[in-house]
Amino acid sequence: MQNSTPAPNGEVCVEVRELWKVFGPNAEQLLRSKARSATKESILEETGCVVALRDLSFDVQRGEFFVIMGLSGSGKSTLIRCLLRLVEPTAGRILINGEDVCAYDEAQLMELRRHTTSMVFQQFGLFPHRSVIDNVAYGLKVRGVEKEERYARAREVIAKVGLREWEGYPPSALSGGMQQRVGIARALATEPEILFMDEPFSGLDPLIRRQMQDELVELQAEVQKTIVFVTHDLHEALKLGGRIAIMRDGEIIQIGTPEDVVTAPSDAYVREFVQDASPAKVLTAGTIMEQPNVLLYEWQGPKAALHILKTTSLDNVFLVTRRGKLLGLVTVERLAGLLKKKGNSLRDALEPDLLTCSADMLVEELFPLAASTSYPIAVVDDKGKFMGEIHISTILSCMIQRQEVGMEQEQEEDEKEDESSMGEKARD
Amino acid sequence: MIEFPQLLEVPLAEWVDAVMSWVLTNWGAGFDAVGGAILFVLLRVERFLLWLPWVVVVVGVGVVAWRAMRRWEAGLLMAGFLVLIGSFGHWDLAMMTLAIIFAAVMISLAIGIPTGIVMARSNSVEAIIRPVLDAMQTMPSFVYLIPALMLFGLGKVPAVFATIIYAMPPVIRLTNVGIRQVPSSVVEAARAFGSSSRQILFEVQLPLAVPSIMVGINQTTMMALAMVVIASMIGAKGLGMEVLLAISRIQIGKGFEAGLCIVLLAIIIDRITNALAARQQYTITT
Repeated sequence: MQNSTPAPNGEVCVEVRELWKVFGPNAEQLLRSKARSATKESILEETGCVVALRDLSFDVQRGEFFVIMGLSGSGKSTLIRCLLRLVEPTAGRILINGEDVCAYDEAQLMELRRHTTSMVFQQFGLFPHRSVIDNVAYGLKVRGVEKEERYARAREVIAKVGLREWEGYPPSALSGGMQQRVGIARALATEPEILFMDEPFSGLDPLIRRQMQDELVELQAEVQKTIVFVTHDLHEALKLGGRIAIMRDGEIIQIGTPEDVVTAPSDAYVREFVQDASPAKVLTAGTIMEQPNVLLYEWQGPKAALHILKTTSLDNVFLVTRRGKLLGLVTVERLAGLLKKKGNSLRDALEPDLLTCSADMLVEELFPLAASTSYPIAVVDDKGKFMGEIHISTILSCMIQRQEVGMEQEQEEDEKEDESSMGEKARD
Repeated sequence: MIEFPQLLEVPLAEWVDAVMSWVLTNWGAGFDAVGGAILFVLLRVERFLLWLPWVVVVVGVGVVAWRAMRRWEAGLLMAGFLVLIGSFGHWDLAMMTLAIIFAAVMISLAIGIPTGIVMARSNSVEAIIRPVLDAMQTMPSFVYLIPALMLFGLGKVPAVFATIIYAMPPVIRLTNVGIRQVPSSVVEAARAFGSSSRQILFEVQLPLAVPSIMVGINQTTMMALAMVVIASMIGAKGLGMEVLLAISRIQIGKGFEAGLCIVLLAIIIDRITNALAARQQYTITT
């Protein structure tokens, strides 16, 4: 699903450089001294300062869904608050659209928060004394938008999050999930460039959480904001993130796509983290597909095809056009039938129920397909070009495999080998 | 060793006298202005209450009580209490007492709520004001009469002044507490959307502090009532003075009558302001 979020166009939206946040007395002094490179524990012991963020640098690109993940106490919430200066960073630079936010005065900061950014909170942070519509319109109100205009805009957003009939109620009349929809609507009402979300779904029960995640993905496809999303939930991170930054003790220990994180954890900490992540929720068809040893081409005759199948001891093989477009799956039985009927074209030996999928489908989504066939599934691009095949056994292994993350790496290696052997064949 | 040594005696009384006379000679004009302002408010309130026909007051109180408590029986009962006060022949005295309470409460709120706001927004201001409030509330109400008497002489003005001083702490305290207990997540959300500190105060903090402030108003009003009775000792005409006279003349019946009127007045004021405060509760979900 991460591939369904719009591809960032490479333009940097939020740039963080050498960001530090130290709580405690003489924090600045500490950062100027050499003591800053000491461990968190020894700094706390010697100076009484708590290092919440240590020397963070990263970029978030425009339109990107950037997830910051870490356990509680890892500094992720402090980080997202520093970006908006709800918490003052101790040192470092934060550039939003190229401007150093840390150098902003109070008025500029207000301007930034009113026009460029919005935030969604774990505790919702709704105004209990205002109705849903007034909550949603709040950002526009502080901006000085006239009542009629801001209500019109608020109604639009409320409808978008599906709370149309609730606009007159106070937040306390709504369930947790609905309250967070109000929180999201409030954040969207100001049409911000960047959306900061601090564990927005953590307070919700699992069923609602999943539903909200799905809705957020849809919403993101529609509104295409830059989103910085904080979570402690790996599954959530893997599901939503275009890229994930994993934090521990105030440091980012890995930044990468969900696949990177799961298949190549940077150290033992991340590995432990992703250990119980179900690969099926992360891996895409493109990752697990294999290059077949043999392909049939449309110009080949049935006899040649049978010969190829016999020598490779395969039961079935995909048939493609000269340009590599997938035509279908030829099976031994159908080939034998064709030869009996003295047919000429391999197109007449195709298995009628051909299953295909696109490379960005999650393995999880392939489960129902796998259950309905015993033949391999073809991976095709949007023009119908054949890209690879997925054996049912591979999908099944993803279903049962939860502990051994290492296996995907092997698969990848296999894939590479396959690719090189394919290359040789192509040359043949 | 039987008598306390004279050497250790501190002539505090003389010092206080000296300070007070210094204050009076140097800041007399200031206190005259304050006294004038108090009198200005008081006289208008008193004149208005005495001008109002009693029927209007009774019906008005009945309706307000009914609306506030949402039960018509309550309205009827409160109106009945007022009629009872009138039937004891204490209507005018009750209105005078009420006037002092209203004037004192209005001035207390006008000073107390802003003070509470300032206190809530600065920890150092809170650290200064809190012990002052503690002292104000632990001091026996009697003691307030002395400076009031010295600064404003006998009469209604010192009575109102002493009442203000005595009644103000609750509303300051509860305004402060009310603002401070607004969930930080809500204030943070307001900040994150670019609210100025003024907008945070008026759009978020004050509205959410209203229930607490209402409780403060209720308490301030009740304390004002208690003080008004005591302030009769320095010449505030009203129900309190009636009790005082009855005590000095040992007229038990008369004293009881006036005392009952005070109780009835207290019940009416307390029930109404209490109900108004209770209606302001929001459900704050976090």
